[in-house]
Amino acid sequence: MAASVRHLLKPWTPSLCLVRWSRYNPYYLDPDPSKDARVPESELSPEEKELQELKTVSPIKAALSSDTSSAFNDPLISKFINMMMQDGNKILARGIMTQTLETIKRKQVEKYHKSPAAKREEIECNPYTVFHQALENCKPIIGLASVQKGGKSYQVPVPLTDNRRRFLAMKWLITECRDNKHRRTHMYEKLSQELLAAFANEGNVVKRKHDLHKMAEANRAYAHYRWW
Amino acid sequence: MSGSVVQEKVAKLLSRQNGKPVLRPIKPLALKNEVASRSLKKGEATCVTEMSLVMACWKLNDFNNSVCSKEVSAFYTCVEKAQNKAKGKQGTQGRLLPKEANTLLKRFPNLSSEI
Repeated sequence: MAASVRHLLKPWTPSLCLVRWSRYNPYYLDPDPSKDARVPESELSPEEKELQELKTVSPIKAALSSDTSSAFNDPLISKFINMMMQDGNKILARGIMTQTLETIKRKQVEKYHKSPAAKREEIECNPYTVFHQALENCKPIIGLASVQKGGKSYQVPVPLTDNRRRFLAMKWLITECRDNKHRRTHMYEKLSQELLAAFANEGNVVKRKHDLHKMAEANRAYAHYRWW
Repeated sequence: MSGSVVQEKVAKLLSRQNGKPVLRPIKPLALKNEVASRSLKKGEATCVTEMSLVMACWKLNDFNNSVCSKEVSAFYTCVEKAQNKAKGKQGTQGRLLPKEANTLLKRFPNLSSEI
């Protein structure tokens, strides 16, 4: 009975569609702005063929104005820019990000030219790979959650979702650069220093990640207080 | 099917013919158009063994993540499996979830008074 009744539970969608909406039915698909990502039909596995067919039939959410089909569109960097943005000033945030990437490139290229030929291959000059790797190095693996048991609240080690880890890494980077650096340095300068340090697994953000891991390790006895 | 049987039982419980009535209701004996939304079985902590392996590896290697990459990836696979299990198992056991039942009842309620 439950299975047959369940198809009646699709929520009502209005006949007049608003263009930019933030709450969609779960069967709405995300827009895919990449132009050349089409793989010819013969190379697709049966599940991927089903996915492609779904894309032709299902409704798709409205695209945001920050979605581009350009080759330079990087979702991670877009997310970081959105997190840095204050009061909706996207132009400023994007400018800071481009300046940061440029500074990283300059520093790495300088390092490349100054180093002997043997060490040159290890130096990563692509600022995008530096950013991605630095963010990976800042992501915590286990987090702490506050659980109340018997009147007392304990800090319980808990696995984190990928989104939460990415958010924490970005948040730590931004707060570290805003609060703990010298007042008169520009944000792009502070960010590039912090990103290069995180790329080499040093610096305050990686230290903060290690502190979280140490606290989780210290509280490992409370791991069974979790019920999810 | 058992509507009349239920009515007879209720009439017997309310009647004064066989001594004191068993039920003395203050509100009318009618069901609400809502289901109680508890039914949350208390689960256990998932992936505790994997987590303890990761932490043991950390203690040995001074929290170096590149050395412990095997344990960490095992932990991630365990977490993903647990998440998929939790999502899939919620609504497929043949019963309606309280939320779904409430939505249906809101749309097709039991009318207790004439409109």
